[in-house]
Amino acid sequence: MTTHTIGSAEPNAVRSGTVFDIGYQRYTDRREGRSRSRRAIFKDGFRIALGFGRGARAKILPWFFIGVLAVIGLVFAIVAGAANRLGGPGTAERANLPSHSDYYGIASIIVFVFAAVVAPELLCRDRRDGVINLYLVRPLTGSDYVTARWASFLVVMATAAWLPQVILFLGLSAGDPAPVAYLQAHWLDVPRFLAAGAAMAIYATTLAMLAASFTTRRAYAAVFLVGLFVITTPFTVGVADEVGGLAGQWISMFNLTNIPVHVNDVIFGDVSQITEDAPARKLGPMILVSWYFAWTILPAFILWWRYRRLSP
Amino acid sequence: MATGETLIAVDRLTKQYGNVVALNDVSFAITDGITGILGENGAGKSTAIKILLGLLQPTSGSATILGHSASDSVAARARVGYMPEHDCLPSLVSAAEFLTHMAECSGLPPSMARTRAADTLRHVGLFEERYRAIGGYSTGMKQRVKLGQALVHDPTFVFLDEPTAGLDPAGREDMLALIRKTHREFGISVLFSSHLMADIERTCDRIIVLQGGRLVQSGEVQQFTKETETVFIEVDANREGLVAALEERGVVVTVDRSGLTIEGPDESVYDHVRDALVEAQAPLRRMAPRRRALTELFEHAGDDDARTGEAA
Repeated sequence: MTTHTIGSAEPNAVRSGTVFDIGYQRYTDRREGRSRSRRAIFKDGFRIALGFGRGARAKILPWFFIGVLAVIGLVFAIVAGAANRLGGPGTAERANLPSHSDYYGIASIIVFVFAAVVAPELLCRDRRDGVINLYLVRPLTGSDYVTARWASFLVVMATAAWLPQVILFLGLSAGDPAPVAYLQAHWLDVPRFLAAGAAMAIYATTLAMLAASFTTRRAYAAVFLVGLFVITTPFTVGVADEVGGLAGQWISMFNLTNIPVHVNDVIFGDVSQITEDAPARKLGPMILVSWYFAWTILPAFILWWRYRRLSP
Repeated sequence: MATGETLIAVDRLTKQYGNVVALNDVSFAITDGITGILGENGAGKSTAIKILLGLLQPTSGSATILGHSASDSVAARARVGYMPEHDCLPSLVSAAEFLTHMAECSGLPPSMARTRAADTLRHVGLFEERYRAIGGYSTGMKQRVKLGQALVHDPTFVFLDEPTAGLDPAGREDMLALIRKTHREFGISVLFSSHLMADIERTCDRIIVLQGGRLVQSGEVQQFTKETETVFIEVDANREGLVAALEERGVVVTVDRSGLTIEGPDESVYDHVRDALVEAQAPLRRMAPRRRALTELFEHAGDDDARTGEAA
């Protein structure tokens, strides 16, 4: 729409009007090219993941999972805060109540189910509806598209992973009888939970997006991923116990739920409750972290390669 | 864009899918205006468009679009629009939101994209319905959204793949009028694929005819129309006498069960028919201009060598 302001020709009269030139016309303003295209895909992915601009049904699942994750953090904070108030500073730690280092171990399965359910929304629907064909005829490659979608979902996952830890940190600080002393003693927990949360988010995002890239049916991708996480845990635990020794430790490495939790343990320098009995823990931090990178970089490469083939 | 400038150039383009040859050594050039690409289903129209858009790689040959190689045309695609034949619309979002997003994906800044989306929806006749979810639209409205997303970023050139598919006669008429208006009023050049001769004839300046992946003709629509025009004559008696009288006058006649057909008639043919009717004493029941059916046309064209030329 173009507007033209017209002044009055009459002397001493201050009258003006605006002519609204509505309807289609040529565009002569700036074009921001490929970077704008990538940002548009990123923004759209973020909106899809959280259900923004869609009906109420699209918002239910993501906000339910974010709510559950936040409530877990809140419950940890309330319990630890109450213990510290009643038993004095440090009571929660001495009683080994769940804290920052334990959170991702306990909440990991919810994080994975969240990723499994929401990630397919970002990729499957575009291919199923054929919208991908419209993206690929714009100044954008398949790699740009999938990278922007991956990044948008990573932001959602990282926010979902960090939010409860922030709540927990604020709760523990406020619940401590000496909040300033608590902050001085525990400030390192902040970079630690940010790093551990990022590791969890990158892992879950990449695997979920990869699964979604193989099908146009969201339900198939979600069921496959949930099944993968749910089945590998008891299976690897059972077989690792049975086999024992070094082989058992390596079998335990295939417990997909534990892979980012081991990294969490390395970051916090502590063993979380969920990996306490995992034989893989004995393989050492270098192997555990390398294993995590292998399970993140390889799926990311496959995902990129699959979409790269779509581009010219 | 200067009139007569080559916007698209295709040189000896071949595309094979295994043993199937979708395009076979096709060459043509397209300048400013509306160009129709005519062919039966499977003639190679969509394949040609997809190669030009960079969605498919040719087996051999080359294609350039707006001065860029089609296989490396990411930047050029900011100035190109594409309306696919098949479904490509998300069902959950509104037309306004979708077009805004598509404009951003083509590199327009968000505020401009919103304005352009509203203006474009007005142009395609969906302004009043723009906030409804696309899933609830009729086929005709969806075709308009598809056209809208192809135009929203003000392309220099737009590809329309079977834009009248699935439309009723009134919807088809409206769509053709919109396409004509898009070129006439805004100077956007169009490549319009169809298997309906009537659509091409009423809309296009130039035509490219494909059959079985080969180029059979390219040139001005007017010339093509003339070549494919026939006169059909039906008499109540003495058909043989009429045929003999016409052939005496040098008129080539095809006879079938229902009547006589004269191909490519010029003005003098009508005089010859009048004289022949008088001479043969054949009572005339019906005489009407007709167009050869597309299948007949292709049978006819298939007898000749493929003519390669410039649709300019």
